[in-house]
Amino acid sequence: MRVVVIGAGVIGLSTALCIHERYRSVLQSLEVMVYADCFTPLTTTDVAAGLWQPYLSEPSNPQEANWNQQTFNYLLSLIGSPNTANMGLALVSGYNLFREAVPDPYWKDIVLGFRKLTVRELDMFPDYSYGWFNTSLILEGRKYLQWLTERLTERGVKFFLRKVESFEEVAREGADVIINCTGVWAGALQPDPLLQPGRGQIIKVDAPWLKHFIITHDPERGIYKSPYIIPGLQATTLGGIFQLGNWSETNNIPDHNTIWEGCCRLEPTLKDAKIIGEWSGFRPVRPQVRLEREQLCFGSSNTEVIHNYGHGGFGLTIHWGCAQEVAKLFGKILEERNLLRIPPSHL
Amino acid sequence: MDTVRIAVVGAGVMGLSTAVCISKMVPGCSITVISDKFTPETTSDVAAGMLIPPTYPDTPIQKQKQWFKDTFDHLFAIVNSAEAEDAGVIMLSGWQIFRSIPTEEVPYWADVVLGFRKMTKDELKKFPQHVFGHAFTTLKCEGPAYLPWLQKRVKGSQGLILTQRIEDLWELHPSFDIVVNCSGLGSRQLAGDSKIFPVRGQVLKVQAPWVKHFIRDSSGLTYIYPGVSNVTLGGTRQKGDWNLSPDAEISKEILSRCCALEPSLRGAYDLREKVGLRPSRPGVRLEKELLAQGSRRLPVVHHYGHGSGGIAMHWGTALEATRLVNECVQVLRTPAPKSKL
Repeated sequence: MRVVVIGAGVIGLSTALCIHERYRSVLQSLEVMVYADCFTPLTTTDVAAGLWQPYLSEPSNPQEANWNQQTFNYLLSLIGSPNTANMGLALVSGYNLFREAVPDPYWKDIVLGFRKLTVRELDMFPDYSYGWFNTSLILEGRKYLQWLTERLTERGVKFFLRKVESFEEVAREGADVIINCTGVWAGALQPDPLLQPGRGQIIKVDAPWLKHFIITHDPERGIYKSPYIIPGLQATTLGGIFQLGNWSETNNIPDHNTIWEGCCRLEPTLKDAKIIGEWSGFRPVRPQVRLEREQLCFGSSNTEVIHNYGHGGFGLTIHWGCAQEVAKLFGKILEERNLLRIPPSHL
Repeated sequence: MDTVRIAVVGAGVMGLSTAVCISKMVPGCSITVISDKFTPETTSDVAAGMLIPPTYPDTPIQKQKQWFKDTFDHLFAIVNSAEAEDAGVIMLSGWQIFRSIPTEEVPYWADVVLGFRKMTKDELKKFPQHVFGHAFTTLKCEGPAYLPWLQKRVKGSQGLILTQRIEDLWELHPSFDIVVNCSGLGSRQLAGDSKIFPVRGQVLKVQAPWVKHFIRDSSGLTYIYPGVSNVTLGGTRQKGDWNLSPDAEISKEILSRCCALEPSLRGAYDLREKVGLRPSRPGVRLEKELLAQGSRRLPVVHHYGHGSGGIAMHWGTALEATRLVNECVQVLRTPAPKSKL
């Protein structure tokens, strides 16, 4: 059984790992290969701050809420193991700020210690009058991708730097199942008018005195268009840019100024922070995550494709739940083809 | 009106903050801070500086609460300003955890810190040996940055800073009109105070920048306090122990206790051992004393003995010490009654 995963961001690598962990021992042979035209530190995942936090409103596909929860619970279960820093994983607490009262988010019981902000806490943020405090998780993209790469390499999964032009080319080379984790560029392999780039720009600074995340919200402007400050394991990410349909890969000065002014207003001590770097990335925005099977016919054989893309600004937040779902679909494929030596008991 | 000459003995957090308070609140005086040790070699430099106050058995709770509140409010204003990084003050959230349910579930300072509440069951899962806990947000004030920041303020209001070891408070007479004694453990000698004794604390300052929360076992013996540029792991409480050299066995043991609470600390690097002697006393000595020798008089305001609560209480007690200094100044400025022949 040859599986080719296209894409080496968090979605591609975690899905590859999930499949290999679950099925290596129940298949006679399982070869998993990762094809990608870019690897860490050049993927979209590497630009993300890595805070586990879904969007505020309930997703149109209720499964996404489950996948978010599964991811949080999985990551939380790893807290307490000695390796968390190597994985890029840490607990982090912080503030969500609003200009007016809002309903509690659907994920309030998933995170730890969720509560409303007290008056004294709100006094710290003069532009905001309402908010939440909770403890969540940071999963830093770069460190996590490095960790996933190590785990996959240990398992004999091979990586290939190549730009895939079509599913057909991969199928004709002998792939039985293709996992499509191409993120914002999925449209190049198969047109998808629902998929758009949600361009973001971030500034990474050295501000080790900041221990809390601060995320502001402006419901009129929309998600990620209001300043946010997210401390990582070493550096702190400043952001607040979301431009739908913008494919510009370069950092621009107006966006830099928007981020810098917004974040310094929120946290005046940032004026002393040293800027480490600035990056742009494209959130793969879609009304819903595309997570489904598709059978493609090339010549006489059928190739199974499992799509797993379109995770918007919540890829790290949702990745493990999606990886497990893909593994489930993969399991069905194996059943249909009578390939399982022992039926996996967890299906 | 003559300038009143004030000597502050000691340049730890007490000496420097009292000097700053006096310069702001007592008009017409000159201030000289005199000490043999300055930052980064004071006890205040070793302390983690967490605003989690101890309880002084000899002091009324209301007074302790006022001292803590004054200190918290003072540092809270700094942390919300652009000065925070210069002053070494940060905000930190975390947990104080208990192995058994405490008789007093809500401490007296619960409404001084921010967002105080009991830990949820899910939060306690992280600490399988513990059954109860507090979650809150408080401040951390770091000596190595805060003391230089205070020193700048002393100099900014024309205060002098002198390096000199004082063996006897009378050395300051007659050059100074009032002495403020902030000499911590030095008061055993300088004030003949046998009630003050060291409680030795050994800590490790390590690199573990992924730790974003404080964790404190309610016994106060084991704690993890992330700071600006390192994480303080502690600790010990060795009464009557004057030894300032770190003990390697103790360091190993501290690391082991802290790793039990936060396993990711196994990846901590660049470990440095430090020792501080807490200037412990049943209560803080905050009072005036008029020293007399023959016809010589020397008004002294004592301001020392904060034990493990130095940083947590410093501004509140400095304000009170300053009020006492003001009283001394008033006395000096009141013309003496002319004796009738």
